[in-house]
Amino acid sequence: MKSRHAAPLVAAAALLALPFGLTEFWIFIAVEVLAFALYAVSFNVLLGYGGMLSFGHAAFFGVGGYTAALVVKQSGLPPVLAVACLPLAAMFVSAAAALVIGFFSVRRAGIYFAMLTFAFQMLLYTIALKATPLTGGDDGLTGLKPPGPLAQPLAYYYFALAMTAAGLHVLHRVVSSPFGYTLRAIRANALRVQYLGINVRAHRLAAFVVSGAFAGLAGAIFALSNGNVFPEWLNWTASATPVVMAVLGGTASFLGPALGAAVYVVLEVLISGRTEYWPLAMGIIIVIIVLLMPEGLTGLWRTGIVRRGARAAPLPTREAR
Amino acid sequence: MLELIAQHFAWAQNPVVLARQTLAGVSNGMLLFLISAGLSLIFGVLRILNFAHGALFMLGALIAVSVAALLPDPLAGFAAALVGAAAGLGLLGAAIETKLLRRIYRAPHEMQLLLTFALVFILGDAAKLIWGREEHFVAMPALLAGGAQAFGLVFPLYRLFLIAAGAAVAAGLWVMLYRTRWGIFIRAATMDREMLAALGVDTRALFTTVFTLGAALAGLGGALAAPVVAVGPGLHVQVLIDAFAVVVIGGLGSVLGAFVASLLVGLVNAFGVLAFPGLAVVLTFGCMAIVLIVRPRGLLGTAE
Amino acid sequence: MSSPILRVESLVKRFGGLLALGGVDLAVEAGEFRAIIGPNGAGKSTFFNALTGLLRPDSGRVTFEGRDITGEPPHRVARRGVARTFQITSVFPDLNALENVRIALLAHARRSWSLWPRAGALGVERAHELLALVGLAASAAKPAGTLAHGDQKRLELAIALAGEPRLLLLDEPTAGMAAQERLEAIRLVHRIARELGLSCVFTEHDMAVVFAVATRITVMHQGRVLAEGTPAEVRARPEVQQVYLGEAA
Repeated sequence: MKSRHAAPLVAAAALLALPFGLTEFWIFIAVEVLAFALYAVSFNVLLGYGGMLSFGHAAFFGVGGYTAALVVKQSGLPPVLAVACLPLAAMFVSAAAALVIGFFSVRRAGIYFAMLTFAFQMLLYTIALKATPLTGGDDGLTGLKPPGPLAQPLAYYYFALAMTAAGLHVLHRVVSSPFGYTLRAIRANALRVQYLGINVRAHRLAAFVVSGAFAGLAGAIFALSNGNVFPEWLNWTASATPVVMAVLGGTASFLGPALGAAVYVVLEVLISGRTEYWPLAMGIIIVIIVLLMPEGLTGLWRTGIVRRGARAAPLPTREAR
Repeated sequence: MLELIAQHFAWAQNPVVLARQTLAGVSNGMLLFLISAGLSLIFGVLRILNFAHGALFMLGALIAVSVAALLPDPLAGFAAALVGAAAGLGLLGAAIETKLLRRIYRAPHEMQLLLTFALVFILGDAAKLIWGREEHFVAMPALLAGGAQAFGLVFPLYRLFLIAAGAAVAAGLWVMLYRTRWGIFIRAATMDREMLAALGVDTRALFTTVFTLGAALAGLGGALAAPVVAVGPGLHVQVLIDAFAVVVIGGLGSVLGAFVASLLVGLVNAFGVLAFPGLAVVLTFGCMAIVLIVRPRGLLGTAE
Repeated sequence: MSSPILRVESLVKRFGGLLALGGVDLAVEAGEFRAIIGPNGAGKSTFFNALTGLLRPDSGRVTFEGRDITGEPPHRVARRGVARTFQITSVFPDLNALENVRIALLAHARRSWSLWPRAGALGVERAHELLALVGLAASAAKPAGTLAHGDQKRLELAIALAGEPRLLLLDEPTAGMAAQERLEAIRLVHRIARELGLSCVFTEHDMAVVFAVATRITVMHQGRVLAEGTPAEVRARPEVQQVYLGEAA
């Protein structure tokens, strides 16, 4: 029993102590890792658990970012209230967008579902580009700072950590719940699940909304740390990011995508620092992943070490942690 | 209310504008067709949605820029550019298919998606590395610059040339699809892949051929577009959006569908820009979404 | 004369130019063990699909326990108390047998919308019971995809039973089995149905199986009902002999 708790405790302690060993720049990067970890895990609820590949998940990350920016810049709320409202507002607006987009998209499966999410994301991209009074148009919204005391990088780090931890906890509860099991069954055999009396479309929509809401939260966390939001966050190329992170970390485990996010962000920082051709590097990395390690880093880990004893987890192909 | 509508469509009464926009719409449609025909065929046969297709188009335009710069005679340069772009992209397409795509046909969809995305990034940056970050221009050969007079209006010759070229390619594709053995295989593959293997068709060669052809078409399209389009970084991202809309509306896997939809999208864009200047682009996605919601197989696609 | 548990009236289904179901009439009484036989292409699977809402009938009516369920989607039909198995075994291959049944139990208990509580041990006990009922107690921990064909069919039955149905629709429940296995399998189903008071409609090709357990037989041919009655009655009809029994079983 004790060994099961040791790893999470050590990780928690490390995360809490982390900023004290880092420069301000790297604290900023740590916040980015947290936000993208939440983003990737939320995406994997759809892909790894629900079996739904969305080409338009960046839409919700972007919507969350823009919402946070608007709350900070335009709401005129006192700092404390703004802080409290931020996560909720971002999640609410992203969830609403996901509800509308999802309602139409889950009526189709496979490639048509994916193309619909793509089309809707591009619609949002166009709005972000054109609705200049609201979204700042081409220039986006800039000069964002976290409200009140959170403007301190250290304070914002803990805020981001708290939000991310809470978000991950909720997502974990969701995938471990009967709803989560249903989702996995839908992925395995959607036809059969219908005959169990389950409205597959409604469950897929619910997963889509939950996933979108937390992607929105991630976008909000990142936007305030980054200081600005741009329409490019909603362009179709941005939708590669959550897929890369999830697959890099491994879609078969809950936290795999979080690991993928950490590696992705750090790689991006290191490589962008040396060359402007980060996309080229990313492309090559993706090719390596796809051809050589499709199970991701956690997959390598799993097959690389000796299994210790019988698994208590009821579902053999997923870590039910 | 009626006044509002009248405002947006006031230009409809002007025959010069109508003629000009129709020509622009149809000629842009032809360029779109060159990209989307390949994209649609690749999906129909290989079942892969090639996100990098816009990059192939862009590379075609860039190769045309370089080749045209090599030859002093603009006409010869232009002709060489067309050939060079098509051939070059054909080769690149063959390389991509045999070395990369072939390894992931049985992989889960997210892997296929990621691989084509990787190509977008790699090819996009490769273009930047080789050709730099500025915009490039290709001059039209004198023969094709200028206008033709008819009905008291002047029509840009190059646009007429594009229409002719597009029609020629469409005709060529039709002949290939309906009059050759490969064409039968391609059409059959679009409908039922498993059966093809059972019939003893060399599916590997078929796949390579289709991807090569698609890439060559995209390259040719890029070369033809080079004189009328700003060839710079980001073109590959921009161009793919319309191409996706076209293949969805026309029907994934249908070349005829791509043809019809290309003209449609081209015209809608040309006139939409007049009627709703800021939001013309929304029309494209709106149509795409509506088709996916109401009739996913598009105009002429086969039902799943 | 009690009203039938399942009544089908003039069910029609077209696919483009093909008339798959040309007006099928059927009435199944509670407690019946009805066999539907007919050559391949007679429309048996299409019939099941149209009954359970996977296909929308072009016209006709389906009434279950007095309620009109025509054209209702599969998940609604399942909730009404109709369970179905598939000709090509349809289970959750990556989950073990126990999990397969658990999912069905969770669904039946309407827990699929519980987003917060942990799924934990919900349904484990009952799942074991159902597995034991179909004779799979020993295979509870095996991934369903690795089970032998016959065992997968049993698992399908357990999954179907998890929903506490009152009508079982079994699409070729003995397909792919050797002759002896088939009789065992159908007798198992028959016994369970009797124990639990279920009505059952199943499609079948093997006449030995049909005549072993069926209380009534419906013969389908080219999308229509050709004949119906007790096994003896049906066996005697010349048109049935010509169309179906005359062919090698």
